[in-house]
Amino acid sequence: METIEFHSVLPQVFAGRGDIVSDVWRKDVSFDKGRLYLVEAESGKGKSTFCSYIMGYRHDYSGDVLMDGKNVRDIGIKEWTGIRRNNISYLFQELRLFPELTAFENVEIKNRLTGFKTRSDIERWFDMLGIADKMNTRVGQMSFGQQQRVAMMRALVQPFDFILADEPVSHLDEGNSAIMGDIMMTEARAQGAGVIVTSIGKHMALDYEKVYRL
Amino acid sequence: MSLVWKLLRSHVSVPQLTGFFFANLFGMFIVLLGFQFYRDVLPVFTAQDSFMRSDYLILSKKVGTAAALSGRTHSFDGAERDDVARQSFAGKVGKFTSTEYKVDANMGIAGHSVLSSELFFESVPDDFIDIPLKDWHYEEGSKEIPIILPRTYINMYNFGFAQTHSLPKISDGLVGMIDFRIFIQGNGHNDLYSGRVVGLSNRLTTILVPQSFMDWSNAYYAPDAHSDPTRLLLEVSNPADESIAKYIDAKGYEVESDKLQAEKTTYFLRMIVSLVMAVGLVISALSFYILMLSIYLLVQKNSAKLENLLLIGYTPARVAMPYQMLAAVLNIIVLLLTLILIYVVRGYYMDMIVAVFPQLESATLLPAILAGLLLLVIVTVLNVLIIRNKVMKIWYGK
Repeated sequence: METIEFHSVLPQVFAGRGDIVSDVWRKDVSFDKGRLYLVEAESGKGKSTFCSYIMGYRHDYSGDVLMDGKNVRDIGIKEWTGIRRNNISYLFQELRLFPELTAFENVEIKNRLTGFKTRSDIERWFDMLGIADKMNTRVGQMSFGQQQRVAMMRALVQPFDFILADEPVSHLDEGNSAIMGDIMMTEARAQGAGVIVTSIGKHMALDYEKVYRL
Repeated sequence: MSLVWKLLRSHVSVPQLTGFFFANLFGMFIVLLGFQFYRDVLPVFTAQDSFMRSDYLILSKKVGTAAALSGRTHSFDGAERDDVARQSFAGKVGKFTSTEYKVDANMGIAGHSVLSSELFFESVPDDFIDIPLKDWHYEEGSKEIPIILPRTYINMYNFGFAQTHSLPKISDGLVGMIDFRIFIQGNGHNDLYSGRVVGLSNRLTTILVPQSFMDWSNAYYAPDAHSDPTRLLLEVSNPADESIAKYIDAKGYEVESDKLQAEKTTYFLRMIVSLVMAVGLVISALSFYILMLSIYLLVQKNSAKLENLLLIGYTPARVAMPYQMLAAVLNIIVLLLTLILIYVVRGYYMDMIVAVFPQLESATLLPAILAGLLLLVIVTVLNVLIIRNKVMKIWYGK
């Protein structure tokens, strides 16, 4: 997948509001593979909504979202599953981990679908992110910051053309934030992927090529 | 163990599934046992002759005291036969032809003489008999005659004779063991024939021989005698046609009524079994409902997990599978247990039935197995579709 385009997209909840000032809503915006974007917004401006339109699990908007020129409304279930496995990786703001599984199992449940990484790859990440001792701990018993790192690993055990990170470091200190940014960018560059990071202020210190304000 | 199953099994309610399990077991058992019992017992009432289609009526004239005293004949003459054939309900009409000469027969089994008597044969046109022509054919000059015996003869032997003489019982497959010797006298001839039993008849109370033998032997042993038939064989398209009953009443004929009795009994049997099966089906339907409610609840409680699995790239089919498998495995276990139960229960009642009707021995558990499989497939397909539908709703965020 080479491009994701937004054409005059406006969430239905904002319809009828004349005071929307945004670089994305009601504009034509294009995200290209291989580039690094930051989408900034205050709370309630539709950051997660923006992500959900790209991931195809919400369609409550006017305008069009296109992937390589194809309207996402025309994409069927099978194709979406393929996209979620092979083309777009998503790091959820609310993480969406499974609390009854261990940290490793949470990563493995995705890796089993894709077979993308070996166990030792994943163990190395755990080590780099400083939670190697938590590998067999249930996610439900971990702090939110630790869970954010597990969610990041889960997002990386798949091939992707774009990675979408919704407030990835909101609960992390500078050091861990930098490590996570490093791991993510290493993976993205290895795959030549585009990176879209969203943030409400605190964000990974990366060399963003383009910054949009929602 | 699959991680997906590890995730989705939480909230599986054992008490609910146990409730489903026993309710379904009970319902399925009643349905299948009813069906199996019906199939096992039905032949007792409807035993049809394999060689004679059932939609034939046998017509005769009433034998009353007045008719006997007045010397009126109770045979059908040509005009009466033509009249029957002209009726709108009538198809083929055939007459029974009797032997006009003296016949003595001796029936033996395994070297024991069972029955020895003077008797007579009858024949009906060959196209009323559904036996391959090579078996139901008499070659002029041959000393072997194919015959069809009334089943009552064999019953008489099985219950009266075989028992006390420690001889084997005869079933349909063993009629070849019957040794039938026939002595015929007439027109100055005196010959010995052997009879080859090709079938047993429930409906005819007479010994049948091929029409070709009848025509030849009557001409050979009794060339001068001729008598009209006392019974007619009538093919009707619809035995329940009212005009048949009216015509028969008006003419003072009668129809051999055993079939009617059997039909009444079968009707009541069918009604009772239908009732029992309906109760079983209701219980099964309720148990199906329990299972579906339980799985609905399960899906509801796990809907966040299901949604997350879908969002990280699992297909709806893969996500629905654990629950579909759960339903399918439960259904299969219930069916297997039900069949084992039926096998045991059937053992008891079949012992009783077979003791009275040895010809039913060949019946199997197949009806219950087939009906069970059919139910299993229907119920499981429904389970699978409903679960799939539920997961699709989560996909679409409804």
